[in-house]
Amino acid sequence: MKIKVYGADLTAWVAAASLARAGNDVRIEGPEAQQSKPLHDISALRDEPGLLDQIELQMVQGRLQRTHTVDSETAIHWFALEHNQFETAEQIIQSLATSVPKNLLIINQCNFGVGATDQLQAYLNKNHNQAVVYIPNSLQEGKALQGFSHPKRITIGSDNDWAITMTRSVIRPFLQHIENLLLMSSREAEFTKLAITGMLAIRIGYINELANLADQMGVDIDIIREGMGTDPRVGSHYLSPGCGFGGENFNQNIARFSDIFEKRGQNSLLKTVISENEIQKELLFKKLWQHYHCDLTGKTVAIWGASFKPGTANIENASSLKTIDALLAQGVQINVHDPEALGNLQKHYPSEPLIRLCHDAYEAVVDADALLLITEWPEYWSPDYHKILESMRNPLIIDGRNIFDKPALEMYGFTYIGVGR
Amino acid sequence: MTVDQSPAWTALNKHAEELGNKHLKDLFAEDDQRFDRFSFSAAHCLADFSKQRISSNTLEKLIQLAEQQRLPEKIEALFTGEHVNTSEDRPALHTALRQPKEIPLRLGEADISQEIHSSLERMETLVEQIHNGQWRGYDGSPITNVINIGVGGSDLGPLMACRALNMFTSAEIRHIEVHFVSSMDGSQLARLLNKIDPASTLFIVSSKSFSTIDTLANSNTAREWLVNASGLSSELISQHHFIGITASPTKASEWGIPEKNQLHFWDWTGGRYSMWSAIGMAIALHTGNDNFRKMLAGAHEMDSHFRHTPLTENLPALLGMIGIWNINFLDIHAHAILPYDGRLQHLPAYLEQLEMESNGKSVTLNGDKFDYSTCPILWGEVGPNAQHAFYQLLHQGTESVMCDFIAPALRYQEYGEELQAQHQLTLANCLAQSRLLALGDSVLDNADNAPLHKRYRGNQPSTTIILDELTPESFGALIAMYEHKVYVQSVIWEINPFDQWGVELGKQVATSLLDQFTDPVAAKTDSSTEGLIRFVQQQRREVKS
Repeated sequence: MKIKVYGADLTAWVAAASLARAGNDVRIEGPEAQQSKPLHDISALRDEPGLLDQIELQMVQGRLQRTHTVDSETAIHWFALEHNQFETAEQIIQSLATSVPKNLLIINQCNFGVGATDQLQAYLNKNHNQAVVYIPNSLQEGKALQGFSHPKRITIGSDNDWAITMTRSVIRPFLQHIENLLLMSSREAEFTKLAITGMLAIRIGYINELANLADQMGVDIDIIREGMGTDPRVGSHYLSPGCGFGGENFNQNIARFSDIFEKRGQNSLLKTVISENEIQKELLFKKLWQHYHCDLTGKTVAIWGASFKPGTANIENASSLKTIDALLAQGVQINVHDPEALGNLQKHYPSEPLIRLCHDAYEAVVDADALLLITEWPEYWSPDYHKILESMRNPLIIDGRNIFDKPALEMYGFTYIGVGR
Repeated sequence: MTVDQSPAWTALNKHAEELGNKHLKDLFAEDDQRFDRFSFSAAHCLADFSKQRISSNTLEKLIQLAEQQRLPEKIEALFTGEHVNTSEDRPALHTALRQPKEIPLRLGEADISQEIHSSLERMETLVEQIHNGQWRGYDGSPITNVINIGVGGSDLGPLMACRALNMFTSAEIRHIEVHFVSSMDGSQLARLLNKIDPASTLFIVSSKSFSTIDTLANSNTAREWLVNASGLSSELISQHHFIGITASPTKASEWGIPEKNQLHFWDWTGGRYSMWSAIGMAIALHTGNDNFRKMLAGAHEMDSHFRHTPLTENLPALLGMIGIWNINFLDIHAHAILPYDGRLQHLPAYLEQLEMESNGKSVTLNGDKFDYSTCPILWGEVGPNAQHAFYQLLHQGTESVMCDFIAPALRYQEYGEELQAQHQLTLANCLAQSRLLALGDSVLDNADNAPLHKRYRGNQPSTTIILDELTPESFGALIAMYEHKVYVQSVIWEINPFDQWGVELGKQVATSLLDQFTDPVAAKTDSSTEGLIRFVQQQRREVKS
């Protein structure tokens, strides 16, 4: 099938690459300014494992092209625009309404908010099989290709039979591992999308709150968490306490959902979760500050992990940024290691003499007065403790993701501070 | 010879006999150009004196008095750092605090302009650190509550400015709440401490001498609260939760404020003239460094006007001289400050201190007694609210009262029509009241037939001051105008507006009375004081038993 994808960010490229890989003839069109930008210069693409290779492969094989031309033969149009590009979507759809007068399917993956798909549909003629379908974007940074090609669940938001049949045929190659294929109205699907994101945020917010309380009450949150997780009504997903969640999509979606509540005059639980999460991002700094009796003069701090989660180079809204800002304000020397995010960190702090980017994790801990573990990259889980111990000036480990074993570390001779234990 | 025996004064006395009995309604009837003749503009402010009981002749004679008193030279003396504060032998250089950095000002060996600006920049650095969330409390939390502890000049100016300029606080710094605590009895402080988080609270202790008992009593309580909440030492708490703003660094250090947390100003900054110095930190915290700078710039604009404009068009000079006319020649001794803008709610309290503490004096610069009146009783309230309180007395009481009506021409430009309509209603009330006070019920057609209790005699003089808009600049200019007005009057009365010996003795007597509550054989006082102490002790005994 001929498919045109609109958008320039990760979501658009993942969709384009995956659809091309499934044999479609795919054109992708971004904003003019981005159209000729080399793909290697787009950090969202570079940061996503395997994506650039896949794009290149599909381009070489001729199934994927960057274009700016209108092709009236293309009947399937895939919207993967950014949340603030609703007007662009309106312009595109108005032009399509006339250039493709019959049998026009638009698959909308954009997070424009509740009711947006219906607003777009209003530009089209349903009786001539012109339809917009909403498929929520469930992209997970770091696992984006896998997530697109082998989803466990897909929701189709539409009440138009023709459009649903067409959509099924487009996504058919990706349904091999599907467990749930849900059909609902686009409005309900849009709401559900935001509701899920909010629910997850609330779970994390709650477990963080419990962890902070556990700290004060002298109980181990890991044990509490296990106890909670075994109750089938609770389950154990999204129940790991830590130093705050980040990432671009997750945070934006929650913030926008919370705004919807506020605009309707309701106090939002999510608003509290968001503001508490910002505070939680400074948790490791606070623990360090308290440990050193409010004086970090002359201290050197090692940071392991800067990306907002393992498996990505993305540092958008990451806890590491808030921690580094706080340490900089106190004049602390900071040695950071991250397997992938150092380049982005370099761009974020272009000329900061107090930050040293270390390509080796052990280089970062030399002469350090503390090691702050912020992102739980797999390579950090079982390090050479003796080497760390010998390198550090003060053997203090503050573990923002509770990946280390407290008694073991104390046995080695470290002072260990976790989140809620 | 005191000023009241001088030729210019005598001439005004004579003029007052001729003009003094003339009703304002007649003055308006005789001359329909009064507004054009008697209103003047400078630095965002328009002052309309046409509802004052004056003629062109009056203004001429008042200017002659000012010239006789060498006002232009005295203005220059103020700006150039002469020791205008004679009893304490020092200059009063609040004008230097708002002077641009490039203009040098020599005081002895030093260029104080550099000192002033380095203090200002240090304050801005601290403000920025707090705004950025990088001033940390004892548990590492960023500061979200700032409590300004100070009294008098260390309280009234910053409090007034914060309320006046609240609308200019940008969204990025709204998360910092600024509170004010002044009263010795701890009532404001106790209420606050109940509802805020100690770890994210920072105290600014503002005291020129750092020995003001009111302020230290509150500061001690605050530190105790933090020590108890944190379990940390008093030294550590002082380092992370207290900033001291003072002209006495040694005293501040003795109390425990580390030098890095101190901001300094100078003995040549009077307390009630100090909100332009680091004492204004609360203003910068609440409204932003840029708005604080704009306020200084507005005040500087008024300074330049005051220094360089001929007396005949000089706003502060005219405001001051017309005050002299009312007080000394029309025998009016009450002055109401009536802002028609709720944001200026603390202006009356501020001016009460500025005017009464400055010019509430009865000895000349040479130390001689005199017989003429000086500063009147000042009081005030937000105008529309005062209409429902003391305006009855203004309209129908037996006291002559002069009034200052103050309002912005424009407000709520970026808001909805309802609020703009409210502003228009407020302006209409402002103008209606000044009109009625001036003209009485002659504004009606057949007022003469009304019973006496419904009559309005009018002839109460007033000045109307209209700001183009209430902005940091116009606000700075307005306050500078009043400061200079006070100075103008002090020059005419030949008094020192920059000392306040009248507030000293009470502090000493209070200290000596402290023991009386516990020591049964304390020194004798007087039967009233002893009787009251006895009563308090009796109440205490009853509570105990």
